[in-house]
Amino acid sequence: MAGDQTPRPSGGPDEPPTGAGQGWTALSYLIAGMLVWGFIGWLVDKWLDTGGIATGIGVVLGMAGGIVLVVRRLGTPT
Amino acid sequence: MFGQANVLAQGEAAFPPSVGDFYLPSILPWGEHDSYWFTKITAMVWIAVGVLIIFFLASYRKPQLVPTKKQWIAESIYGFVRNNIAVDMIGHAGVRFAPYFTTLFCFILLTNFFAIVPFFQISPNSHIAFPAFLAAISYVMFNWIGIRHHGFVKYFKHSLIPPAPWYILPILIPIEFFSTFLVRPFSLAVRLFANMFAGHMLLLVFTLGGFAMISANTWLAPVSVLSWVMTVALTFLEFLVICLQAYVFTVLTASYVQGALAEEH
Repeated sequence: MAGDQTPRPSGGPDEPPTGAGQGWTALSYLIAGMLVWGFIGWLVDKWLDTGGIATGIGVVLGMAGGIVLVVRRLGTPT
Repeated sequence: MFGQANVLAQGEAAFPPSVGDFYLPSILPWGEHDSYWFTKITAMVWIAVGVLIIFFLASYRKPQLVPTKKQWIAESIYGFVRNNIAVDMIGHAGVRFAPYFTTLFCFILLTNFFAIVPFFQISPNSHIAFPAFLAAISYVMFNWIGIRHHGFVKYFKHSLIPPAPWYILPILIPIEFFSTFLVRPFSLAVRLFANMFAGHMLLLVFTLGGFAMISANTWLAPVSVLSWVMTVALTFLEFLVICLQAYVFTVLTASYVQGALAEEH
């Protein structure tokens, strides 16, 4: 029905992004996760002189965070 | 730009090509090396703008039901961006962004395409300033659209706070902030810039490499010819990259706009 706009047909803005967009989003979450928490870990390293342990913990934490974000944002909405 | 042939014939072209090769002599005042107000790059950007305006105005001046060839091309480009990018990514709300996406797509496609047009042979997008500015426009646009659609607080709440239990939010919010508000414009600009920069560099290496070898030793002539054949092949590869990057830039901009408009589930 062409004139019936109120209940949006499928493909409306409430759908998760399609194909390429979703791929880029997932990739950017995974990389951003490692970078952000790796950097925070590195700062902690500089501060407490832990010799790289904090950076490692940060990167792993960031990876986990990135994966959680991908699942939460792009996984099947419950 | 006409001095290049002489330089090549005399075997004086510096062989490994450097970043300096991207800074062309000024046109106005002619031939000056430290003046960047009006260079070949500037001229190409204006030509691209002019060509696009004239093409779309001319092809849609007298629209006909059975389109003329020019009208058909213009309509196909617009139809492609509208249906395959705007509506595909954003849905029905995407139609109102189709004109901007078409302009963006055509501008990037044409400026990229200068990289392999004889006598132009360099893309303005191989200077970071142009992709950076296009990325800045996309960045301001998707944030503005999001803020207007949701309101300031709700937009940032929606884009920074993912649906997750409260105890992992402190880990997720910095990642969201970084990937949405810092990485996006940066990666848009760098992706386009790096592709065009590398493409121009690659063609330079193979063309100038041929001349460098032939002037170093005449026995290397067959290798030089091979190098120039590679240049031709790489030009076709460049054409692929040119179209792909124009498409990717537009698709990603559309995807960001979609993200800004998305409702919370």
